Amino acid sequence: MFANTLFLASACLTIGGAIAVVYSKNLMHACIYLLASLFGVAGLYTCIGADFLAATQLVVYAGGVVILMLFAIMLTGGTSNKVNRFGLEKIPAMGNKKTFFIASFAAVVSAMIIVKILIPVLKQNPSSALSPNEPTVERLGTLLATDHILAFEISSVLLLGALVGAAVISRPRKEIHD
Amino acid sequence: MNSTVVSYFSQSNEFQNVTNWLTQILGFNASSLVAFIIFAVFSLIIVGAMATIGGLGTYAERKISADLQARIGPNRVGPFGILQFLADGVKMILKEDIVTTNADRFTFNLAPVLCLVGVFATLAVVPYSSGFMLADLNVGIFYLVGMASLVGVGVFLGGYASNSKWSMLGGMRGASQIISYEIPATLSIIAIVLLAGGLSMKTLIDGQGGAPQDWYIFHNPFAFMGFFVYFISALAETNRAPFDLPEAESELVSGYHTEYTGMKFGLFALAEYIEVFVVCGVAVALFLGGYKVPFDLGSGQILVEKLGLDGMLAQNIGQFLELGSFFTKTLLLYYVVIWVRWTLPRLRVDQLMTLCWKYLTPIALVNLIGCAVWMYAFNGKSIFALIFHAAGSAGGH
Repeated sequence: MFANTLFLASACLTIGGAIAVVYSKNLMHACIYLLASLFGVAGLYTCIGADFLAATQLVVYAGGVVILMLFAIMLTGGTSNKVNRFGLEKIPAMGNKKTFFIASFAAVVSAMIIVKILIPVLKQNPSSALSPNEPTVERLGTLLATDHILAFEISSVLLLGALVGAAVISRPRKEIHD
Repeated sequence: MNSTVVSYFSQSNEFQNVTNWLTQILGFNASSLVAFIIFAVFSLIIVGAMATIGGLGTYAERKISADLQARIGPNRVGPFGILQFLADGVKMILKEDIVTTNADRFTFNLAPVLCLVGVFATLAVVPYSSGFMLADLNVGIFYLVGMASLVGVGVFLGGYASNSKWSMLGGMRGASQIISYEIPATLSIIAIVLLAGGLSMKTLIDGQGGAPQDWYIFHNPFAFMGFFVYFISALAETNRAPFDLPEAESELVSGYHTEYTGMKFGLFALAEYIEVFVVCGVAVALFLGGYKVPFDLGSGQILVEKLGLDGMLAQNIGQFLELGSFFTKTLLLYYVVIWVRWTLPRLRVDQLMTLCWKYLTPIALVNLIGCAVWMYAFNGKSIFALIFHAAGSAGGH
């Protein structure tokens, strides 16, 4: 009963937020709706007992990514001017060959990933439900430090790259005298 | 079972009686209904008590600042002016609600609510006593860090939506400050999580004892440094002086809430004062023994043995002792926060970022590694345990 209510509320928040993101004309508002949608996803994680994942969702997306997106929108001024100074719309309505190609490629890749995930789920006996409220932190930590150590290390290299990039961008530029 | 309000009350006989009675009347198993009602009542109590503490925080701020500056402070409303915050609340509610013409209305109205939601959501896992905790999540402290970051979004949106240069600068400073200082704060928290071996508040506090030598702050030198790193970062995260750049009065009028009037401004102020309480509570829970009472009085075992009290009564007395322990330590830290605000001058923006990235973050990293090495080298024993052990073995010869 309670779990169902929680699931329905989270699902509605996720889908409603996502739809609002797409239909909102104001980029800033879209970002806030995205925050609601991400909270809904955290609720969905809680429904299946993935407490650590839900908290990570909150920390990473609500705390970090959304604020960074807000910063980016504010600094690029992408909120009010939907047309450029010649009176033309900045975003073309239909896209061009390049965007169509990339979008279809992305769609194919994500469809393959979804099918790959869904097939074992559908094949499995649906009655083997997870035991609720089992702490996942310890198992996650063990798995990350043993089986998935390579992925873990690679992601840290990614972070290092981001740090170096930030340092390079923010460094004062030297004037080249010849 | 988890140590929450509901599970605490479900030990008592009255709970069983009421549940059975309701089950007979309603015709279905009413235990979850009763649990929900208890939960709702205690949520309301906590929200009400915390709003009062937030209000009294403004009073304490003025009174203590008056003390430090050899003034008198508010003294008209009620005895010693203690009802001043109620008068302020009435004033806030009755004020005209002004939205600036070019403000983004939706965002403008949402920002103070986001701030308050972020703070109130963290109250769910703050451990007031061993039986008085709304939810003992397995990822308690992590959840708290995540929810508290909503405040940053609220501050930023408030600054952005006002469509004023002062607000904008304040909001930008606030957001960048909050996300920067989250790093040393979280790293210090992780060091303590290493010592305790769990993320839930219950685990974190159970690893400590009532007496100071059992607290994590005195567990090893790295944890001792970690406490100060956490405390400084927490000051910065709650936008308190000496880090109150987002609302620097001398340059930015009032920072991100310059354009806010009436109760919307009140919500920002309330959120700030409650957040200070929450971060002090977290500092107490992680470093200063939390709700633990010396001699294990909190569980009520000793009262049952020595005084022959009824089990449940002794447990209730223990709970009140634990509440007293937690609130005393937290309010003492709260006093320190206000004291710091009225003692130290404000930092510049570049000094703020230097302090965070060049000093606190490396120190927090060293603390984290130091705690890990300590746990490995000394098998998780605290420095006092090692000293006592060494003294004991030396005396035995």
